[in-house]
Amino acid sequence: MEGEQKIIIGEKVLRRRELFEEEVARRERAKLSFEEKIKILIDLQKLARDWGGKKDVIIWQI
Amino acid sequence: MKETLKVLNKLKEKGLVQDYAIGGAIAALRWIEPFFTQDLDVFILLKDGDEKKKEVIDLSPIYEYLKSKGYKWKGHWIMIEGVPVDIFPADPLEKEAIEQAQEVEYEGIKTKVIVPEYLIALFLRAGRNKDCRKIEMLLEQCQIDKERLQKILSQYGLDEKFKEFEERGYGR
Repeated sequence: MEGEQKIIIGEKVLRRRELFEEEVARRERAKLSFEEKIKILIDLQKLARDWGGKKDVIIWQI
Repeated sequence: MKETLKVLNKLKEKGLVQDYAIGGAIAALRWIEPFFTQDLDVFILLKDGDEKKKEVIDLSPIYEYLKSKGYKWKGHWIMIEGVPVDIFPADPLEKEAIEQAQEVEYEGIKTKVIVPEYLIALFLRAGRNKDCRKIEMLLEQCQIDKERLQKILSQYGLDEKFKEFEERGYGR
């Protein structure tokens, strides 16, 4: 059932509806490790380059 | 990123900088949810101290060292191990922010990151829309020591600016 679907962020397990409670979700994402956040940042850089049309975005090396 | 931090630590070991701390968006990202940014802002304390009193601040030895290691300019950034880095000599507020920065580890490499209270003061002083958004996220997503923040804002004459920021109800 969709309502019971669990979503894992790092060590946290959230229910789908909790993920969409924006403030809660933001606070949860804020608790990710520095390393995990940098990995997400690199994904965001790739998204900006490949989908956002920002061809000059520099993708960090980790 | 790990290799970039090793190079920054090397600057300290070699005595080219007295101390440094990560600031700007990447420091904010340490405390709040991930968001898009491109560069790594690094605030440095130079060996011989009080930058404020000098008419000219010479960062050449740092850049010469980095150049000798093969790191090149890309626009206004210096590319260190694939990461675009901006290096800023600290003014008094940034100096205090470096001294009070938190030691953290990134993949086993020690570094220092400016704490939220100082970041808020620095973003407030910069005052662009993107800085205000970061202040808002810091206030919303992490534990702020209100007393400490107030002290910093008063000390650096940012009280009024913060009041204006609050009155605007930014983002609400």
